[in-house]
Amino acid sequence: MSEEKEVIRFDNVDFAYDRGSLVLEKINLTISAGDFACIVGPNGGGKTTLLKLILGLLKPVSGTIKVLGTDPKDSLHKIGYVPQQSKFDSSFPVSVLDVVLMGCLNRSFFWGGYSAEQKQKALLAIEEVGMSEFVNRSFADLSGGQRQRTLVARAMVSEPQIILLDEPTSNVDIHGTEQFYNMFEELNRKFTIIMVSHDIGFVSNRVKSVICVRQTLQVHPISELTGETLQNLYGSGVHAIRHDHRCSEGGHSCLHS
Amino acid sequence: MSTFLKDLLELPFLQNALLAGVLCSMATGVVGTYVVLRRITYIAAAISHCILGGLGAARYFSIVWGWTWLKPVHGAIFTALASALIIGLVSMRAKEREDTVISALWAVGMAIGILFIFKTPGYNEDLMSYLFGNILMVSQQDLYLIGVLDLFLISLSMVFYKQVLAVCFDEEFARTRGVWVEFYYLLILCLTALTVVLTVSVVGIIMVIALISLPVAISARFFDRVWKIMVCSIVLGMIFTSGGLALSYTPNLPSGAVTILLAGLTYILTILYFSFRRQK
Repeated sequence: MSEEKEVIRFDNVDFAYDRGSLVLEKINLTISAGDFACIVGPNGGGKTTLLKLILGLLKPVSGTIKVLGTDPKDSLHKIGYVPQQSKFDSSFPVSVLDVVLMGCLNRSFFWGGYSAEQKQKALLAIEEVGMSEFVNRSFADLSGGQRQRTLVARAMVSEPQIILLDEPTSNVDIHGTEQFYNMFEELNRKFTIIMVSHDIGFVSNRVKSVICVRQTLQVHPISELTGETLQNLYGSGVHAIRHDHRCSEGGHSCLHS
Repeated sequence: MSTFLKDLLELPFLQNALLAGVLCSMATGVVGTYVVLRRITYIAAAISHCILGGLGAARYFSIVWGWTWLKPVHGAIFTALASALIIGLVSMRAKEREDTVISALWAVGMAIGILFIFKTPGYNEDLMSYLFGNILMVSQQDLYLIGVLDLFLISLSMVFYKQVLAVCFDEEFARTRGVWVEFYYLLILCLTALTVVLTVSVVGIIMVIALISLPVAISARFFDRVWKIMVCSIVLGMIFTSGGLALSYTPNLPSGAVTILLAGLTYILTILYFSFRRQK
């Protein structure tokens, strides 16, 4: 039926919160395995909503969503989720290892502590994001970038196929952002990565495809992303900042007009 | 103080009181940590005030209708659990109305309690001891109940430690891992409800919230791991309840109020200490 490499598929998906007006309208989207896709759009445009639909935290009003060939809630354990950092209690008394171990939790009510095997995996994930020297540091004492790395490790520890990142660079300085994209590029060898960003300027020279959301959705191969597209998306007051765009093989064709 | 120590060796009611404070501190230390970390102290406060309704109704039925098997504490447990479940379900289903429902339950629970106590023949002194607590009235039978509830609360908290912690830290992420978040949230609320019932006997309805939140708030300033905060809160709770009892005994002051003042004073000193240290 569907191509094996297709990891996410939206067919004519509409979404609205509590009988309000549609936040997302007639969304058609496919993302293939190995993609590094970035969802961009103005605030309130439906970026995070799209992410939550993929996670099965929200249900569409109409249309169908398939993640890894099944209903989102059945594929949840194969997705690693990195939420927005701003919502965390900045003084919560846990260590980096504690946070990453939370990624090992699952449906079961199994009680007691985490197994030695789970700890081993957590330490490995921490190493992979370059946080080994901070394993026992308090999450509260970390910088924005270090917290973000910890949350990425937490998402990775369950060995998912897809990693979803919600505004991963919002608390990271410009220098740190560059390092982050290096890390994501590295992780992209193992995982399909989908991230949400309002920060199109930095995104564009690393990601393979850009998904523009403002109620409706357009997918652009990175080479097609022009000032005009951005202006349509964000309104006329925005100047597009052009970087050296790298045309990549992973672009999608425009699915919605 | 020396009178207190001398009497402590001789008077069983004083020993009961001391033991009640110690047992109660174990529950407030563990469950209070969850309450403070999950930021639901106002829910704990609402539950504690609701309890008056259950206490008053149970006492009324027991005296007026002759249901002598029904003790006020049974009414308290029932109301506490019921109000915890109502608040929990409302906050999960209709998030924006949560605070209104909490305020309504808070006041309606008290109103029901006051009416029942007013219509119950006999002295209304009980009302005062419910509101402000009277640790010296704790009987041997109460102690057994406190002990059983304590054991139940602490073992349940320990069994689901990692799940409850994950839900407190990041509910949404826990949900994406398939953790049954609603169940654990209701579990936290029910544990809170039972802890409140225990604590009411020590410091009374109005001051419960201080004994649940202050030891944790102080401990959280010194420690940065959840289990350390729990242990420290238990120790602090024991110091405050025992200290309150000892200090109030000779001058014949209400022990609940002295306990809370002791906790409040320690909290303020802790804050001052840390803000002073930061300036240096």
